[in-house]
Amino acid sequence: MNPDAPKPTDLQNGPEPVAERRTVPAWLILLFGLLIYWGSVFLAENAGGFARDVYRPYHSSDDVASANPQDPEAKRRALGRQVFEKTCIACHQATGLGKEGTAPPLVGSEWVLAPGGDRIARIVLNGLTGPINVKGQDWNLTMLAWRDTFSDDEIAAVLTYVRSSWGNNAGPIKPELVKAARAEKHQGNETSEELLKISVQ
Amino acid sequence: MNSGPTIFLGLFATMACSWTGFVLAPQLQLGGLAQTNTVVVGDALSQTYPLAQPGEASAGAEVYRANGCASCHTQMVRPGNLGSDLQRGWGLRRSLAEDYLFEPRVLLGSQRVGPDLANFARRSDLKAVLMRLYNPRLIIHDSLMPPHRFLFETRKIGFFPSTNALVLPDKDAPPDGYEVVPRPEARALAAYLLSLRQDGYLFESPPPQSLWPKTNAVPKKAAAK
Amino acid sequence: MSAMVFPAPKPAPAPPPWQQPGAKDSCPAGILMLLAGAALWLLAASLCGLAVSLKFHAPGFLASEGYLTYGRLRAAQNAAFLYGFGVPSAVGLGLWFFCRLGRATVAGPVVVAIGATLWHGAVALGVAAILCGKTTGFDYFEMPVWCARVLMLAFLLLGVCALLTFHQRDPGPLYPSQWFVVGSLFWFPWIFSTAVLVLLVVPERGALQALTAWWYAYNFDNVFLGFTGLASAFYFIPKLIGRPLHSHYLAALAFWTLALFGSCGGIPNGAPLPSWIISLAVVGTVLTAVPLLAVAANFYQTVYKDLNAMDADPALRFTYVGLIFWLIAGAQQIAGALPQVSALTDFTWFGAAQKELFHYGFFALTVFGALYYIVPRLLGLENSAWRPKLLKIHFYSSFLGVLICYVALLVTGLEQGILLASPGNSFTDVLRRTMFPLRMSTLGDLLVAGGACIFLLNLAGVLSKACCRCRAERKERA
Repeated sequence: MNPDAPKPTDLQNGPEPVAERRTVPAWLILLFGLLIYWGSVFLAENAGGFARDVYRPYHSSDDVASANPQDPEAKRRALGRQVFEKTCIACHQATGLGKEGTAPPLVGSEWVLAPGGDRIARIVLNGLTGPINVKGQDWNLTMLAWRDTFSDDEIAAVLTYVRSSWGNNAGPIKPELVKAARAEKHQGNETSEELLKISVQ
Repeated sequence: MNSGPTIFLGLFATMACSWTGFVLAPQLQLGGLAQTNTVVVGDALSQTYPLAQPGEASAGAEVYRANGCASCHTQMVRPGNLGSDLQRGWGLRRSLAEDYLFEPRVLLGSQRVGPDLANFARRSDLKAVLMRLYNPRLIIHDSLMPPHRFLFETRKIGFFPSTNALVLPDKDAPPDGYEVVPRPEARALAAYLLSLRQDGYLFESPPPQSLWPKTNAVPKKAAAK
Repeated sequence: MSAMVFPAPKPAPAPPPWQQPGAKDSCPAGILMLLAGAALWLLAASLCGLAVSLKFHAPGFLASEGYLTYGRLRAAQNAAFLYGFGVPSAVGLGLWFFCRLGRATVAGPVVVAIGATLWHGAVALGVAAILCGKTTGFDYFEMPVWCARVLMLAFLLLGVCALLTFHQRDPGPLYPSQWFVVGSLFWFPWIFSTAVLVLLVVPERGALQALTAWWYAYNFDNVFLGFTGLASAFYFIPKLIGRPLHSHYLAALAFWTLALFGSCGGIPNGAPLPSWIISLAVVGTVLTAVPLLAVAANFYQTVYKDLNAMDADPALRFTYVGLIFWLIAGAQQIAGALPQVSALTDFTWFGAAQKELFHYGFFALTVFGALYYIVPRLLGLENSAWRPKLLKIHFYSSFLGVLICYVALLVTGLEQGILLASPGNSFTDVLRRTMFPLRMSTLGDLLVAGGACIFLLNLAGVLSKACCRCRAERKERA
């Protein structure tokens, strides 16, 4: 022990401590800056955009959405609805019930609800003329061909939509089916007799 | 830094940052959480989630709280990348804020002296729970969990033995003519523990791809004619 | 030589009024009640901790009635430590620092005494209620709602007196200890009232309750207790080695960064909350490295030129060892917040070890270091009133106790975490394999309780000396 050092009691009863005014060392400021940078990067990666539905280990709402079961039919149905409401609604009506003298109903129609979509795909692609029996009622009107207006995807979409709306409960139609029907290059409109020869299983 | 008001203002601002970030903002974002639907898995239908806690389970939650069970048990399953909880079979999926929606007092705990209880109902039944509460060493011979005999009553057998009397091995068995019966607190606590399950996948914690439904098309048989 | 060590002599200021013989205008009774009561609560908490630790050897120990079952005793230990020892010592120390550094007398001494009585009474009733099953179930916030309301009222009384004492200070520059005390006394009512409102009075929905409870616990430890301990370290270390504090600005940096980052954190990485909340907590905790290093650099520069001086004053050991424990506990907290580490260590004894080190290592030791200086001066005596042998035994007992407990729990936690990481190890197996270090911690708890006991013996000695002196003075005057 240093003999000149003040005794503990002198210090205990001595003056109050003072703080000298020395600057903060540069390395600490640098470290602070680096940690702030690290923190921002960490938050950018892991904070999930401050969204409510992003939990670890997902990094963004998109991640979570894509990790959920995808519903491709939902997209097709949405497109189909768009197409329907642009064009078909004029004759077949918004309710799908059709109108006397304009268009037969789609709701509960055995043509629409048949297991396979081969017949209705050809109706939309090539149009229809002549007598047709829908739900026990005879209709004799003309429907235009839409093969030059809509693509295979769009036609498949609108068929899917019609088959799953207003209480209809039949499966979706794939664009490949429409493409195969289009490849037949049918001339003129379809007729009921021709269609009834095609299988819909 | 010599003026009192400056220090107060600075402290106020700092506290406000922390309070806003951890108390206010989460409340604004999660305070309005409501029941939601589970994600469809396989052939199952989507269900409402979560369901309200049954009455006896609420009473049991009070017993859980009063006996400090949360000091040894947690009630949250961690995601797969932050521990082996899921691989250990402690849950179907990680826990989410939605899971605790209807619990009046949320006791997540902060330490696992004993295993996690978030999905306890999936791996136990009434008799096992009551035995474990009475004397955990009957199930695991060197368990550290304290016995909760005070939740049970040793009483004289009446005309017939009680149906919910515990079946105990000889060294723990009560004297002849007596039976050990769970008190209402024990039954409530057991009901609570057996209500702990976090079923159903939610949007925030979706099912693995192997469980996704194969197609959304209605099966052919169901198509209306 | 001595000129280098001893700063340039300033005219010694007149001792505060209560140190003058026969002074009666400043009643130190209030502060004394806070501090002596706190010491008693520390003994109670340590004994609870010892009983809890013994249950790991024999779970049936004290388990026949519900009152002393592990869950309730653990909650009671926590409540006794935090609200019986933690808050009163923080307030008592705070009041004393305000008086000393501001050269003022306690404002409203009777109110302080009333507040102290109310506080200790409420804590006693609260702890009894906890043992009867009325705990809230939240860690760090076990007091039932009616008790919490009384505590809030008592703190308001004490806080207002402290504020007025601060206001009555001599004009001049503020010393860092004063900022830290202002900070801690400001923080507590805010976090406590938020917790009471949001957890008990109008409970939040679902997992938000857990979030607020974790936030409260983190703030209570890092800001409220941390600020108090640091105030003590900043005051006593420079003073009792006779050197000025190295840098005012480093202290200011530590103050503000600890206030900001020490209040953002405490959420476990696996919590059932959106990832933004958890990420903010991680970033906040990691950034507490800045105040940690600022304090470490500041004190290192203050003392390194004359390390021997640190051992000259026997009571100073408590303060600087406490500070070192704060640095270690802080570093561990930062490590435990990182996602990769927390995947292993969350919910294991790792966190419990850190809290043990922080509470009994940092906070208790720093408070003792302060008490050894403050208590005699409240009674008009000097440090010599303490019995040096008891002081030494107390130090080694507490120091070794904390060290053993900490290392034992740390080893248990790390082993538990590493073993649990493989799902092949069943939970029971892991428990069996970590039983030995866990049980070793009982020795540490025993030593800590012993230390608290010895302190109380020493305190009793000092109080009786003061009584004798008082009686002798009265006889003289009569």
